[in-house]
Amino acid sequence: MNDILLQTGWWVPCYGLLGALLTLPWSMGLVKRTGPRPAAYFNMFMTLVAFIHGTLLFRATWHHEPVELVLHWLSIADLDLTLNVELSSATVGSMELVTGLSILAQLFALGYMEKDWALARFYALMGFFEAAISGLAISNSLFLTYAFLEMLTLSTYLLVGFWYAQPLVVTAARDAFLTKRVGDILLLMGVVTLSALAGSLDFPDLYDWTETAQLSPLVANLLGLALIAGPIGKCAQFPLHLWLDEAMEGPNPASILRNSVVVSAGAYVLIQLQPILNLAPVALMTLVGIGMITAVGESFVAIAQVDIKRAFSHSTSAYLGLVFIAVGMQWTNFALLLLFAHAIAKSLLFMSVGSIVLTTNSQDLTEYGGLWSRMPVTTSAFVVGSLSLVGLLPLGCFWAFERGLDIFWYDQPLLSAIILLVNGLSVISLTRIFRLVFLGPPQPKTRRSPEVPWTMAVPMVSLIIVTLLSPLLMHNLGLLPNWEYINKSAGITLIASGLMGLIIGGTLELQKSKSRSIKKPIRVVQDMLSYDFYIDRLYGFTIVFLVSSLSRFMVWFDRYIVDGAVNAVGFASVFGGESLKYSASGQSQFYVLTILIGVSVLGLLLTWTLW
Amino acid sequence: MLSVLLWIPFIGAVVLIVLPGLQDSRRAQWVALLLATFAFAWTIFLGFQFDFSATGSQFQERLSWLETLGLQYQVGVDGLSYPLVVLNNLLTCVAIYGSDPDKERPRFYYSLLLLLNFGVVGAFLSENLLLFFLFYEIELIPLYFLIAIWGGARRGYAATKFLIYTAVSGIAILGSFLGLVWLSGAESFALQRDLAETLTLTQQLILLGGLLLGFGIKIPLVPLHTWLPDAHVEASTPVSVLLAGVLLKLGTYGLLRFGLGLFPEAWSVLAPYLATWAVVSVLYGALTAIAQTDMKKMVAYSSVGHMGYILLAAAANTPLSLVAVIVQMISHGLISALLFLLVGVVYTKTGTRDLTVLRGLLNPERGLPLIGSLMVVGVMASAGIPGMVGFISEFLVFRSSLPVFPVQTLLCMIGTGLTAVYFLLLVNRAFFGRLITRSDGKVVTLAPVIWRERSPAILLAILIVVFGLQPNWLVDWTRATIADFSGSPAVLAQRTTLPEADLARAITLH
Amino acid sequence: MLETPTARHPSTAYIERILSGKTLLPDTPENTLEVVGILKSYGVVIGAYSKNLLYIAEHQFLELFPFFKYFNGKTSLSALLRHWFHDRINYEYAEYCMKVMLWHGGGGLDSYLDSGEFKLLARKAIDAKIRNNPLIRSLNQVFPDFLPEQIRQFVYYSVLGQFWDVMSELFLTLADRYEQGKITSIPDVVAHIKAGLVAAAGNPITYSVDIGGQSYDLIPKSAGLIFISDAAVPYVEAIFFRGTPFPGTVSYNAQAQQISPDPGRFAYGALYADPLPVGGAGIPPTLLMQDMRHYLPESLHRLYQNTTRKEADLLIKICESFQKSMFCVTNAAILGLMPHDLETTDPKEQKVNQHYLEGWMDRLRTSQLETVQTNSLQ
Repeated sequence: MNDILLQTGWWVPCYGLLGALLTLPWSMGLVKRTGPRPAAYFNMFMTLVAFIHGTLLFRATWHHEPVELVLHWLSIADLDLTLNVELSSATVGSMELVTGLSILAQLFALGYMEKDWALARFYALMGFFEAAISGLAISNSLFLTYAFLEMLTLSTYLLVGFWYAQPLVVTAARDAFLTKRVGDILLLMGVVTLSALAGSLDFPDLYDWTETAQLSPLVANLLGLALIAGPIGKCAQFPLHLWLDEAMEGPNPASILRNSVVVSAGAYVLIQLQPILNLAPVALMTLVGIGMITAVGESFVAIAQVDIKRAFSHSTSAYLGLVFIAVGMQWTNFALLLLFAHAIAKSLLFMSVGSIVLTTNSQDLTEYGGLWSRMPVTTSAFVVGSLSLVGLLPLGCFWAFERGLDIFWYDQPLLSAIILLVNGLSVISLTRIFRLVFLGPPQPKTRRSPEVPWTMAVPMVSLIIVTLLSPLLMHNLGLLPNWEYINKSAGITLIASGLMGLIIGGTLELQKSKSRSIKKPIRVVQDMLSYDFYIDRLYGFTIVFLVSSLSRFMVWFDRYIVDGAVNAVGFASVFGGESLKYSASGQSQFYVLTILIGVSVLGLLLTWTLW
Repeated sequence: MLSVLLWIPFIGAVVLIVLPGLQDSRRAQWVALLLATFAFAWTIFLGFQFDFSATGSQFQERLSWLETLGLQYQVGVDGLSYPLVVLNNLLTCVAIYGSDPDKERPRFYYSLLLLLNFGVVGAFLSENLLLFFLFYEIELIPLYFLIAIWGGARRGYAATKFLIYTAVSGIAILGSFLGLVWLSGAESFALQRDLAETLTLTQQLILLGGLLLGFGIKIPLVPLHTWLPDAHVEASTPVSVLLAGVLLKLGTYGLLRFGLGLFPEAWSVLAPYLATWAVVSVLYGALTAIAQTDMKKMVAYSSVGHMGYILLAAAANTPLSLVAVIVQMISHGLISALLFLLVGVVYTKTGTRDLTVLRGLLNPERGLPLIGSLMVVGVMASAGIPGMVGFISEFLVFRSSLPVFPVQTLLCMIGTGLTAVYFLLLVNRAFFGRLITRSDGKVVTLAPVIWRERSPAILLAILIVVFGLQPNWLVDWTRATIADFSGSPAVLAQRTTLPEADLARAITLH
Repeated sequence: MLETPTARHPSTAYIERILSGKTLLPDTPENTLEVVGILKSYGVVIGAYSKNLLYIAEHQFLELFPFFKYFNGKTSLSALLRHWFHDRINYEYAEYCMKVMLWHGGGGLDSYLDSGEFKLLARKAIDAKIRNNPLIRSLNQVFPDFLPEQIRQFVYYSVLGQFWDVMSELFLTLADRYEQGKITSIPDVVAHIKAGLVAAAGNPITYSVDIGGQSYDLIPKSAGLIFISDAAVPYVEAIFFRGTPFPGTVSYNAQAQQISPDPGRFAYGALYADPLPVGGAGIPPTLLMQDMRHYLPESLHRLYQNTTRKEADLLIKICESFQKSMFCVTNAAILGLMPHDLETTDPKEQKVNQHYLEGWMDRLRTSQLETVQTNSLQ
């Protein structure tokens, strides 16, 4: 039984894909008379199957040696590309997290998207999405991982572009794709180089290779930088982080997955690449540097947002920044713990956000107020999600932060300070949002706000329970330290930083309108933060400007220099000095004849002399 | 057996002209389609008898013809040419099926399409230099007329330009062939691998230079490419499909078969320059495509860029890279054919290809939603997204070229990134947003898309995905031939994995 | 066609048109066919909506898991399979309209729901309903407005159901009279609807639920809520005028500020919406158009078949016709609510009338009114 389960482990990602395929009759518009809901049900069913299969698989892998399944996909000459998956409790567990969150997000979407006629396309994309991420979780070859990352890029593009007729969606989808693509191309350079250097792209082979590899520091560091570029784009890290903010134009149920498991997928790849990155100290330093910039910068940016979804998306970048620091410092356990805790808490928060947005028809933090007494599930989801996201009570992220502090406490005071700072700032941000949304008097858009229907409430309640149980889960998986090994002073400092945030966030003056501060210095800082340090304009002045002016120059060059020169010089003789003009020529038949006769005469002449 | 592939289109072309009762456009189309399908079926039938382990050419046929000229009818097929013949016959069916059923002068039109098929298949099958040249020249006549008669507003200009370029290409190739036979003192024009062995390096370089010029125009390589965008823009959709899908491949095929195949020594001398030339082509094509506002021109420039990858892999000249060449040829053939088909549908329906005008074509009711979805598939395949054939072909090109030309390969990879840029702009501009179909911002209700317009595109999209998931079905045909190709003295540099020191040196040097 | 407005108000032409007894929608035979045809299918659809809304209000009261709320109490295997296959009326759209009405509020109903009287009645019903459910009882204690807010929603279920019940009947008789040849022009259509609205104007709006065999009033007759001012007018305001922004065309991004902070300034309703994106993603009215496609009268369907795309862009054509018909309904509402008789000769009354019409026209200025003047099926 176990054997069959293990041998068929690779089916799990395929279920999502199959579900996506089954939606085709509806998403392609072949079924016109009836509605698209069967497509949604198929997909949810397939995800459920994937989840159940995954659960059985998890039990089979528990206390079992990791099983490797290898398919020799393409071998030509010296190249042997394999599709290689590893089934261990860690990889299958990650896959379970993905399918589990996916099924909750899909159920949530059934309510959130109930009045959207393009439901089938949405579910097809969710199935595709889920397949890519769960495939990534068990992939044991960099080639396969790269393929899944690109599938993710594509499905992110299509999901963000789901409401394709909405003008901001058009730019958001484009930016999401291109930003990730920049990272992916650099990653591809790394993958191809690595393939040529190491001869194989399977992770075990690569790890073996790193033991003996003799790379010059320059090559090793360039390779490392190329490899981390992909995850930088995927995890929305500085300077490739803007897409996540824009991606909030997409439907909320997709945001649930995007802000939890999709960004984590990038970091997961990074963790898998870590042994190779050890060859590249510069890349590791870059990871830490980028992580620091993103974690601190985005934490501040999150506080200045007026859009509820964006406030959370920036916080996602900040948390992933911490993960980058962890990988850069080679503490992958800390990274995994934080990823896990963050993914669950953030999903729950995004569900809560979804129900707030749907009920109030607004994403504007200044237009909310007084929701708590009417929306018990949404409020509880928000509170539990928030508490689990910060180090205040012994829930998910507390243990992750505690672990991080434990590691950095003595040797890396700066990194410890950053963890505490991010924690404090997150508490401030969450407290601010909580006060704006749930407390205070109701406003015009929140005065009638009944709780959402069961399709959205059930996933929220389930995830609340999972979130509350997550410390227990972490304990059972052996991720938590024993009581006697806990660094008590670190824990207390962490809680203190959380309390400090709570006090500041609780007393912060709230803006209830979109007015900006009258004091100029404050206003400048406020604007700078709410527009994300104007990074998008920086892009505009630099890379976008460069590419667009270069391409316009090329067109000019092509039209007037190359075409003009070739036309003028090359064929001047043929036309007796008359250059070819951009006009329809009536004499073309004559030219053809001339050319044909010319060619044949030439041919004959040449052959004649020969024979 | 093999000659049937030549006889069907040739007889078909004659029958269409001669046989009475085919004035009716639809009937002529059906006759032509029937013949093309038969030719395609015959190709597949031959495929079942194809010996995968044979290294040399198969199904050889030989007839003496003008012995005094050294011209013999010698045909055969191997792993290099067979996939291209299949592609050609498939796309001929697509082109005929996808033609407007109310074409003017239908008999002449379909006859020319079949004649084109005849020429191209002949060129792929020829095992005699002069015979190849003859077919190579034959093919350009129908194409000239197809552009000049059924083309757009500036068809005369485009057709003439095409003709002149291709004629120069022909002359250069013929010159090289004659020179080769003359210098080597061979008794006939029969294709033999060791023809050039006795030649000095200088002689080889000159002859190879001629071939590079000739085939470089056909591929086309920058700066010999300017005939291509004009030809594409003016040609009707089926002709564009054939032009991009197979005709350009005659150039790369010729380069591989005759350039690399006959002058391996000179090739290895020129290879670094060729790789650099490939970089120029790739980046030039990509950058020029970004600023285009005509969808068809954008796809045409994209072709220029993507053909550059083939040159890169050919220059690298390792067993792996030669497989990459074939896979990239087929992949580009399928993808560019798909893109041209789709752009063609957009143009027929809206009357424009202007990216500054068109918006929101994904609109499910009044727009072209299925065409839009297929367009997304097409551009993603072209941008090298995994799961589609564009990815594996580009991956093979890069992977195989990197050990030999690291810097050039990395630069070419930037081209892949730029492909995503311009094609994404195309999709986002024309297909996203609120529907607009006219330059005054209004919407006219577009005629509905019919299955004749959709089904060829769907077929190509399916093939693109199938070969993307199972590239072995593409690679298996060529494995043995390429192994032999590279087992010969043709391959001098057989470096398979990258010596790190080289990479370091290369990076520090540049 | 529309004459150039010359006088002080930009929509004088329309005002004069109404004052002279003409209609907002040009009177052409094709328009009449379209409007009557679409109102017939609309009548069928909102009839079904109304039945379901009333069923939910009465029989699914405070049910936490209303799995079978769209079955109207008739569950069978074949009904379940058809439901799963989505071969059914899209009741989600009715709920969407109900929620939009609830959210925008307005009228006496809205203020009644905030009154002490309602709160008292609601508490009674809640106590009766959750008597045996300690979990929900404690939840209700921690979140005191949770269930009252749900009941407000049920009230709107019922009110919209009652409103649509009347309208459905009205539209179906319109179609019958058209077939009998009694209705031949757009003014006839408007007059028919106006007469129906006037006849129902004073109907009381009430709502009570049955819990454990005992009836609990939530809107007693004594609350004095009536059809025209507490259902029809808020409905027109919420659905015809304001609506909610469609995610498929408008960005909710707070920083982009595309959506007004004041719901009173929303203009996303049926009279304003752009028909072109209908059928696409993120456009809720698609559901209504899809429901109507099943009940198109043969004559209208033939008319649609006569266009370039025939069946392919049916939803957009239905939406265009629907918008025309909604202008007729608006027209009837304008006439029905006129402060003074249309033919009045008293200058003071005329001035009041003029002022009243200007108020309407100001709101309609950015609507699709201009488009429906010239729009014909293509």
